[in-house]
Amino acid sequence: MFKFASKPQSAALAFMVSGSVWFVVGAVYGFMSAIHLVAPEFLPHVGALVFGRERPVHVNTMLYGFVGPMLVGCGLYYLPALLRTRLWSEPLAWAAFFFWNLTVLSGPVGFAFGITQGREYNEYVWLADVSLVIAVVCLIVNSALTIANRQEEQIYVSIWYFMATFLWTASNYPLGNVMWHPATGAMPGLIDSIFLWFWGHNLPGLLITPLATGAAYFVIPRVARTPLNSHTLSLLGFWLLIALYSHIGGHHVLQSPIPNWLKTVSVVDSIAMVLPVSIVVINLWMTARNFGRRIWGDPAARLVMGGVVWYIVTCIQGPLQSLPFLQRVTHFNNWTVGHAHIAMLGFGGYIALGAMWHIVPLITGRELYSKKLVSLQFGLVTFGLTGFFLVLTAAGLVQGTAWHNGETVLRVLPQLVPFMASRAALGVFIFTASLVGLYNLLMSLRRGEEQEGAQLKRAEDAA
Amino acid sequence: MKMTPAVLIVGALMVFWASAFIIVGIPSLTMKETPSEIWRPLTPLEKAGHRLYVKNGCSYCHSLFIRVNDWDIGAERIAKAGDYVGVEPAILGSERTGPDLSQEGGEHSDDWNIAHFTNPRFTSPISLMPSWDFLTESEITALTAYVQSQGGKHADLRQARQREWKKQAVEAYSGGFDRNIEWLHAQVPEVWRRMPNPYPATEAALQRGKRIYQQLCVNCHSPVGDGNGPAMPFLSPPPLNFTTLRRHMVENRYIGGIFYYQIMNGITGTAMPYFKKHLESEKIWDLANYLAVSFVGHTDANTEPRGIDASFEGAWENRYPPPGRERPDLPVAPPAPVP
Repeated sequence: MFKFASKPQSAALAFMVSGSVWFVVGAVYGFMSAIHLVAPEFLPHVGALVFGRERPVHVNTMLYGFVGPMLVGCGLYYLPALLRTRLWSEPLAWAAFFFWNLTVLSGPVGFAFGITQGREYNEYVWLADVSLVIAVVCLIVNSALTIANRQEEQIYVSIWYFMATFLWTASNYPLGNVMWHPATGAMPGLIDSIFLWFWGHNLPGLLITPLATGAAYFVIPRVARTPLNSHTLSLLGFWLLIALYSHIGGHHVLQSPIPNWLKTVSVVDSIAMVLPVSIVVINLWMTARNFGRRIWGDPAARLVMGGVVWYIVTCIQGPLQSLPFLQRVTHFNNWTVGHAHIAMLGFGGYIALGAMWHIVPLITGRELYSKKLVSLQFGLVTFGLTGFFLVLTAAGLVQGTAWHNGETVLRVLPQLVPFMASRAALGVFIFTASLVGLYNLLMSLRRGEEQEGAQLKRAEDAA
Repeated sequence: MKMTPAVLIVGALMVFWASAFIIVGIPSLTMKETPSEIWRPLTPLEKAGHRLYVKNGCSYCHSLFIRVNDWDIGAERIAKAGDYVGVEPAILGSERTGPDLSQEGGEHSDDWNIAHFTNPRFTSPISLMPSWDFLTESEITALTAYVQSQGGKHADLRQARQREWKKQAVEAYSGGFDRNIEWLHAQVPEVWRRMPNPYPATEAALQRGKRIYQQLCVNCHSPVGDGNGPAMPFLSPPPLNFTTLRRHMVENRYIGGIFYYQIMNGITGTAMPYFKKHLESEKIWDLANYLAVSFVGHTDANTEPRGIDASFEGAWENRYPPPGRERPDLPVAPPAPVP
């Protein structure tokens, strides 16, 4: 009955397909909530369709449903490929797939009806938390034993990131979600915000970032057909990431009454984050140097490199907006929303999509259904996201400066209309991109052209 | 350095747990839950409201802490660690699509809140908040109780004041329109009751006043100023019918200063909020002129006693003079702009 679950690399593919499906779901909810920020009476009297319930579905589905699993799927392919072995257990990977998606599913079916813990990025209820942790533990066991069974002596940098992601998440997720308080998933009092943002920031930092970095480290050298620029830089980037990223959650509540030393730590380490980010980006760019045409000419690698560009933009903006003086204007408004979108869809999402398009033919042995559709998706997402970033940043500056000059939140709302309307319109591009991607993926699986023998050989030798 | 599986696994975990100890371990060991001077425990009803606040994602648009650089509602008190004792979860929030609510208790009357939850546009026409009319009545009561508890003992003080003045306001209203207006006027300090609107009611000023009326006032006081806006059924006493003011003139004119004072400070105990955080001087005077011209039929703008005309003021004659002060030499006033 479960024969499909032992087919090599089937779990990797399953993770990618589920990621593509959740991308569509997340985009629908994002689009709906964007409309509600222009027209709050759109589809009235439906409890499941109010902004306060749509937003967590959108955010969690995109993070835990689209970007995360798509990158996990990529990892499940490159982990054994780079180690010249098989995944230790395909059924175990399927178990991870099952539990992970159960958690994601609890978003749309739960949050929409008020079944939520309500803490930003920690909304999943306790049972869903347990399900996710089980999935992560399955992935740890599977990855560790795959590494143990490796035929290749050297452990490539992508594998460090992939393995470490789950080690960190298994420790971090229960901590930030305060899983020892099952009813609320929260600590009493102000300290809860410290636990909340410990995971709230490590979610992009220690779940999405290492997965995406690992995938980029896999795709860029392959497409450029050249070895990685520097092992030393890889090491530095990896260890600095974990040493610094885990300290900076406090910058989300910088103006609240949390202890001052914690604010100082979070600001200093936020600034220091420029280092690991630049190191990774420089390493990848130096690898691709002189091979720009190969990267740009390959629709999948183009997406990955696009993600790397968003990464450097995000991570210059991030440290800057952790500065207390700047935050007086940029905090609490759409500036931050713009930042979150370039981080998650720009950095994480681009690399997830690009790596998926790169890896799917390697798994199936068939060409993609259409490379043009991959390019179209790149164009749609790039237009939509660049628009988001500009529009939301501008809206945030309007709000932030107005408040800073003594205008009330209510009085600034009418000024947001043009921004929120264009943001909703730009959402159409993202939504279309998600549909194009899902269509292309399903068609590639069903009737992509068989690859030539030589290509297949290259795919197998690749890693 | 060579990355072996042992270095990778042990190293990654060690660095992570060291960081976790610094960031959440040390605060757990050192932060004490000491109630602040305004803290008080929540009642069971308020706790039920807090659950609803969490469940329905109110925290995605409302923050629960006031910063040093804030001016909006609650800016009188910067948040302290002891304000959150025992609240689980105390969601501080990361976005302000709506105002901060940490000091909201008692800022508005209970019936204002209930109308606002039913449809936020009833009380704040430009609000982006969803309507919560799909919640049950008892859920909206619980939410209102929670919001009214925000600010702890300070909120209790404001709530007590709301209740005290509500008794008087309801009593005055039950005495009929005229008794109500006399009572309302009596609550305005003497100096304001003699102060004419110092700003000329030019076309531009009336247009500005109209815009403000539509953004902030129209759904209680209605487009024609008779107090029959969609919020009216929720409010006790109901919104003022401005057209009845023509029966209450002082020295044969309606005094702009009364409008100004009531818009600025609101009428505690009723659903009329204060607008001094939303509007500053000229905007309030423009709105007062708009109310006077549109709904009372005349304005005392720029009449005696007056000081030096402001430098921007051109030659202006009041085309909406109180009865008996018409100037036959001036062209007839066009009909007052109706929204």
